[in-house]
Amino acid sequence: MAVHFIQSTLLKETHMNPTDSKRFILVGAGGIGTWLAAGLVRLLEWKFPNSALIIVDGDTYEEKNKERQDFTKLGNKAVVKATELVPQFPKTTIIPVAKWVVDDNFSGVADEESPKIKASDLIRENDVIFAVVDNFAARKILFDAAAKLNNIDVFTGGNDDALFGSIYHYQKRDGVEITSHPAEFHPEYHNPPDKNPGELSCQQRSEIEGGTQLLATNMAVASFILGRVQKTIVSNQSPEETEIFFDLGIGKSEPYNRMHSALNETVTV
Amino acid sequence: METSSNAGAQPNRSTGMANIRYGVYSQPSNIAGKSIKEIREQFSKIWGIPNDAVAYCGKDKLDENAVVQPGQNVEFHRRAGEKG
Repeated sequence: MAVHFIQSTLLKETHMNPTDSKRFILVGAGGIGTWLAAGLVRLLEWKFPNSALIIVDGDTYEEKNKERQDFTKLGNKAVVKATELVPQFPKTTIIPVAKWVVDDNFSGVADEESPKIKASDLIRENDVIFAVVDNFAARKILFDAAAKLNNIDVFTGGNDDALFGSIYHYQKRDGVEITSHPAEFHPEYHNPPDKNPGELSCQQRSEIEGGTQLLATNMAVASFILGRVQKTIVSNQSPEETEIFFDLGIGKSEPYNRMHSALNETVTV
Repeated sequence: METSSNAGAQPNRSTGMANIRYGVYSQPSNIAGKSIKEIREQFSKIWGIPNDAVAYCGKDKLDENAVVQPGQNVEFHRRAGEKG
């Protein structure tokens, strides 16, 4: 089946009415991203027809990723995932961007082996961003770019090598932060302890260990994010469960309200 | 980023209940009147709170000598999940 993709150079030209259709940008098509993509594309197809799902990842799917990641063939993760989804979901425009996201000050090399896209060239007003990469540095780039816009939602999530995970929802409306930038509570977003793979060489990237993550935790992060999208985007309700921590090992989850309105109140028990 | 403060510190050590949270854990406890340092020592082993987990009340960062007041909601911040 012939699959026609919109070129990534046309990203900024995918005009959407934000009330009737959405532009979802999924950054990271790996252990969390591939499962999240399956949910997001279905949500767009039925709740917001004629929307766009943009999948961004400069990495390549290899056989060793198969235990936790949902692909049917080898190749660039964004392109392979988009190729799988396009024939199944005709009401959604699916755009692969086979590039690494870097910040606006990036001054390194962007060649064919390591193509880059600046965060500010990727996202725009009214987008819904899903930052499900495997490092804080790339997440910070996306949050910081989003913070410069007036109307934006950024969902992120991650996990450890066992059964712990967390998600966060950053939201701005009409230039006002509804929920706090995660750096206000998390020093790991303020000064990331890791490096953005997009700013490393191919050799340096190949030396990064994938760790021993678990499929169940990856899928749980994707499910928690999808649940927040259902509540705050589809049903347009308050993002008061801004941050959620969970531990599948002990069967617990706990929501935290990071809305500015709540943080300024005196909380009592 | 907010600055460290003594927002919870008061001259009198009123005892009573306050809420303590860390990651998936949240529990009303008889911790009012205790300092952040004392609370950290009490809960670090059962909840695994690391020494560098900063304590907050709302957006106010609490230093180790701040004393928790009855009814306060004290949170030791848990590092977010990194991988994916």
